[in-house]
Amino acid sequence: MEEKGFKLGILCCNYTNLAEKEDFQDILGEVIMKRYPCSGHIEITDILRTFREGAEAVLVAGCQKGTCHNENGSSRAEHQVEGAQKLIEEIGLPKEFLKFVYVERLNTGDFIDKVKGFYKEVLNKLLKEKRV
Amino acid sequence: MIIAERRPLPKILKNIEPYRKILVLGCRGCVAICSAGGDREVAILAEAIRLARERAGNPVEVLEETFIRQCDPEYLTTLGELGKQVDAIVSLACGVGVNFIADLYPEVRIFPGVDTTFYGANVALGEWIEKCRGCGECIIDMTGGLCPIARCAKVLLNGPCGGSQNGRCEVREDMPCVWHLIVERLTKRGELDRLMEIWGPKDWRASGGEGLRVRERSDLKV
Repeated sequence: MEEKGFKLGILCCNYTNLAEKEDFQDILGEVIMKRYPCSGHIEITDILRTFREGAEAVLVAGCQKGTCHNENGSSRAEHQVEGAQKLIEEIGLPKEFLKFVYVERLNTGDFIDKVKGFYKEVLNKLLKEKRV
Repeated sequence: MIIAERRPLPKILKNIEPYRKILVLGCRGCVAICSAGGDREVAILAEAIRLARERAGNPVEVLEETFIRQCDPEYLTTLGELGKQVDAIVSLACGVGVNFIADLYPEVRIFPGVDTTFYGANVALGEWIEKCRGCGECIIDMTGGLCPIARCAKVLLNGPCGGSQNGRCEVREDMPCVWHLIVERLTKRGELDRLMEIWGPKDWRASGGEGLRVRERSDLKV
């Protein structure tokens, strides 16, 4: 796979972070960032569509338990990711290419660290599979 | 309600592999309530099919539609036209809906998108448990409303069996022994004598032993 073709999808609650494109300059490839009023709004279809848009891997981020403005939004998002993981596995994608993480509300640094950490995990997996 | 479960995606994909335009057809009856075949599940399956087919280099156009019910002709009136627009339909209705459409629209290729599993109740969010087997001759008037046909692993008419321990089923330890529950309930009500009555043999013909079961109400016929 050519680096320029790599796309990373990030679906998150708008209030978890203030990250901008520049914050992801270390990521070789395109970052597809989708913000939602709450991670509880993220549906399985949104996740699958992000893969269809070319994302090699998708990270869904929600506010730490107990800090979600809508109480259970991020917990719901975690369940949606579990549902989508089953489907992508059946399609033939590794379920590790879809992950949910809890992030500290309004801590952009924590969010960026987790995105970069996921990027590394995906990259390592792709290297093992010799796809990069 | 009738409980169903989405079929494994590879099975669904295999059925529709040769087709370029399909319809995922949901049902707002039982399968919507048990989150197997309503509008939401239609959207998810449609998106999953698109993704799978694009990755396989064999893209497909997927239409989405949900009927109020698929087991009633009055809600199927648009199906003839819809069927002409697509090569095949994946129905998320229970087996009744798929069969009924196959009967009424023989020219439409229809495939099941769910496996129809049992008649059950929604005991908690995301959890359904079998409560009835549709055996055609209810005996729950004698068992405190609890059905041993559906809920006893051995379908016993005279339990509990010797394997039941501490109120748990020996086949499914995570489940209570329904006969234990029946005895407890009737004892509490002072009605345990009900179980001393001699029951006539259960008529299993009503459970389908005589072939297709039909119900007719002449007073409702036009």
